[in-house]
Amino acid sequence: MGSALKHTLEEMLRVRRLQADAPPLRGQDRRLSPLPTGVAGVDDLLGGGLPRGQISEVHGPPSAGRTGLVLALGARITRAGALAGWVDPRDRFDPGHAAAAGMDLARLLWLRGRARAPRALPEAVAATGTLLGSGLFDLVVLDLAGVPAVEVQRLPGATWIRLQRMIESMPTAMVLVGDAHVAHGPGGACLAMTAGSARWTGPPGPGRLLRGLSSELRAGRHTLRPVAFERIGLDELGGASGAPPRPPLAPRE
Amino acid sequence: MYGGLHSPAPLPSPGALVDLAREFTPRVEAFGSTPVLLDLQGLGRAWPSPRALGEALLEAARARRLEPRIVLAGSRIAALLVSQAQEGLTVLAPGEEAAALAPLPLSLLDLDPEREETLRGWGLRTLGDLAALPAAGLAERLGPDAPRLRRLARGEDDAPLVATALPESFACTLELEWPVDGLEPLSFILARVLEPLCSGLAWRGRRAVSLVLELGLVDGSRHRRALHPAAPSADPRTWRTLLLLDLETHPPRDAIQALTLRAEPTPARTVQFSLLDPAQPSPERLAETMARLHEWTSDGRGGTPVLLDTHRPGAFVMGSFTPGPFTGSRLPAGPPRIGLRVFRPPRPAEVSLREGRPAFVSAGSVRGAVLDRAGPWRVSGDWWDVAWSREEWDVALAGGVYRIFRDRLREAWFVEGELD
Repeated sequence: MGSALKHTLEEMLRVRRLQADAPPLRGQDRRLSPLPTGVAGVDDLLGGGLPRGQISEVHGPPSAGRTGLVLALGARITRAGALAGWVDPRDRFDPGHAAAAGMDLARLLWLRGRARAPRALPEAVAATGTLLGSGLFDLVVLDLAGVPAVEVQRLPGATWIRLQRMIESMPTAMVLVGDAHVAHGPGGACLAMTAGSARWTGPPGPGRLLRGLSSELRAGRHTLRPVAFERIGLDELGGASGAPPRPPLAPRE
Repeated sequence: MYGGLHSPAPLPSPGALVDLAREFTPRVEAFGSTPVLLDLQGLGRAWPSPRALGEALLEAARARRLEPRIVLAGSRIAALLVSQAQEGLTVLAPGEEAAALAPLPLSLLDLDPEREETLRGWGLRTLGDLAALPAAGLAERLGPDAPRLRRLARGEDDAPLVATALPESFACTLELEWPVDGLEPLSFILARVLEPLCSGLAWRGRRAVSLVLELGLVDGSRHRRALHPAAPSADPRTWRTLLLLDLETHPPRDAIQALTLRAEPTPARTVQFSLLDPAQPSPERLAETMARLHEWTSDGRGGTPVLLDTHRPGAFVMGSFTPGPFTGSRLPAGPPRIGLRVFRPPRPAEVSLREGRPAFVSAGSVRGAVLDRAGPWRVSGDWWDVAWSREEWDVALAGGVYRIFRDRLREAWFVEGELD
């Protein structure tokens, strides 16, 4: 194919925005485009999304919405035809909620650790390196939430530097999910989430549903220089299968 | 120059004549086990005359205990038909084909019965009778392909010889001068064996769907490993990595003295990628990655979760990770959903109730007064099998929002997971 014709075709694709939501075409440098989470406030803070070729992290206390945010990112990526990997040393991932969040499970590789095994975390880090080195995945999540800090500190000091070096030339974004700050790449995003309040459908009593969780999110390329604060709402409107919520029944008298 | 071999007597094996012909030329066309055509072009440099070549063929046949009829002729059809009628060795000089074919019966042309009946009705019995008819008259009466029959009957054949493909065998054996111990030296040897094997596959437009490695060990035993990757490949690097990864987990018990590799071929993928679709993962790289994750996938800890068609909470099975072609699917609209971080198995809890509602939860690190709650959701199922019945609550503690449930069959409370 002549270069002029190729250029014309690529220009047409750009003009018609056929590639707006899909992964880039073969041969195109995918590092240029960040991975949007689909959560408008978060993407605005990040300048479009999580950067490729970098380790980013999402950390915060339980129920801060860390998992919901990363599921939204995974849903967007897998629905666009790309692959995602989820390394889960504590075996805490729930595929039902992931499917309800929109994730295409057929494009997800889930690696489940043995929660009580002494080497679960080093094995998970090694598997993460394998996924990153393959270059097949647009998103690789290493879920460290719930892993005691002492276990994370026991990892060799060069672990994160090695992983960062590994993906610098890859079109992959790696996301660490944790209870507290662990590590992120020099160009990676650091999203600190703080738990807000749970939102309910009505006053206490029968017929009430959990409507969502409100969280505060601070995004900054460097943790010492937070750039902004943003509030996001994470709503769970369906059951595990994505079906409409089951009507609650009053407790038996 | 063409050669025709035909054996009216039963052959010791179906491929006996083809094997004999391949001793002389690789360009052989077989019509079943007999007759067999040989392309003898260029063999004049090895044998001084066609008769000498024919005698060499006859001698080679006798060495194999075969008594075929052998004809050397200038045209394909003459060699083929005359070999079915003439005993022994016949060498036709250029221009003698028509005369040699003339007395042969019409049935050798393998005509369709209706046409043969027509020709017999005209009183034609031999190829010579057909060859003597005018081409224009034949075309008027039998159609446009009738002159071609006449040309065949005169020994004029412009159809090319379609060589029968050699039986495919992709195997390679290497006897080592010195035994090797360990995977690192073996890696170099594997590369040396895999390169020609994979080149052979690629030349034939084939990929290996599986590879069998047999190692002859110093203690006299054999170590056999068979690999069946997710996608066929003819890439020597991929196969070498897969073999080494497999041998890492299943090492031979002694040093290696010899190795044999056998590939099972399959036609190469014919996939025309679209400009408008997302790039798909390379099957070879995917297979290599999954082989590296063998420790995770072998015991069902790695793969793709497949949700089961049931209302039982958390029901899924692990499937193999083989992402299919991208079909395009829309993202569900609306705000992002809450995730659930489950405890496997559910964490047993002590729950204090106040007015029938959870007031305090204690389950290890998940502990505290219930600040707010929603529920209960009562769900049950599988009464015909392993029944389950539970009462779910979403409770807000000081340390997070959790989903707890009471197992109504066991009358026990559990924390299912943390809503996050």
